[in-house]
Amino acid sequence: MEATLEQHLDDTMKNPAIVGVLCTDAQGHNLGCRGSLSDEHGGVVSVLAKQAASLTKDLTDSPTVCLESDSGNVLVRTHGTITVAVHKIVS
Amino acid sequence: MTTALTQGLERIPDQIGYLVISEDGVLASSGELENDEHTAGVIMQMVRTACRFRLHGAAEPPFKRMSVIFEDYVYAVTISGQKVFVVKRQNNQREPVNV
Repeated sequence: MEATLEQHLDDTMKNPAIVGVLCTDAQGHNLGCRGSLSDEHGGVVSVLAKQAASLTKDLTDSPTVCLESDSGNVLVRTHGTITVAVHKIVS
Repeated sequence: MTTALTQGLERIPDQIGYLVISEDGVLASSGELENDEHTAGVIMQMVRTACRFRLHGAAEPPFKRMSVIFEDYVYAVTISGQKVFVVKRQNNQREPVNV
């Protein structure tokens, strides 16, 4: 199972616009990461996704959080029990 | 004072509501976000969380704008002069074109 996740992380990093990717569980434990996103970001990413989800009562409408800055955009979204963060450089 | 604070927000296209929040509470609200203390509270928590997000070698602050994108609407959040500005906009996502 880990091999599949690791493969997905490597494949994601092949996109030249993507400089970092991270997968975390609901507790902020790091399941895998590449590039600019590392262990230390897991907590913030999972908390941010949880807080965003509490903005709606519709449990089927899963939000995407986007932090926009000069160093690119960090996109955070929960899929089931896993939260994924992608750091993308704006071209 | 309140008018000067919100006149720019009123003109944002597809705007369906807004909030202006300070550390002391909600300063102004309108539309779908009128008196929405719950959303104001959650957004303030998110701003505090997002401020702790640091990328190596990145200049402060960690973000210029935070967007929370739902299927039908978007919350666009910016900070200016110790105040948090939240605008709820309709999300007019265009379907991707398959060629």
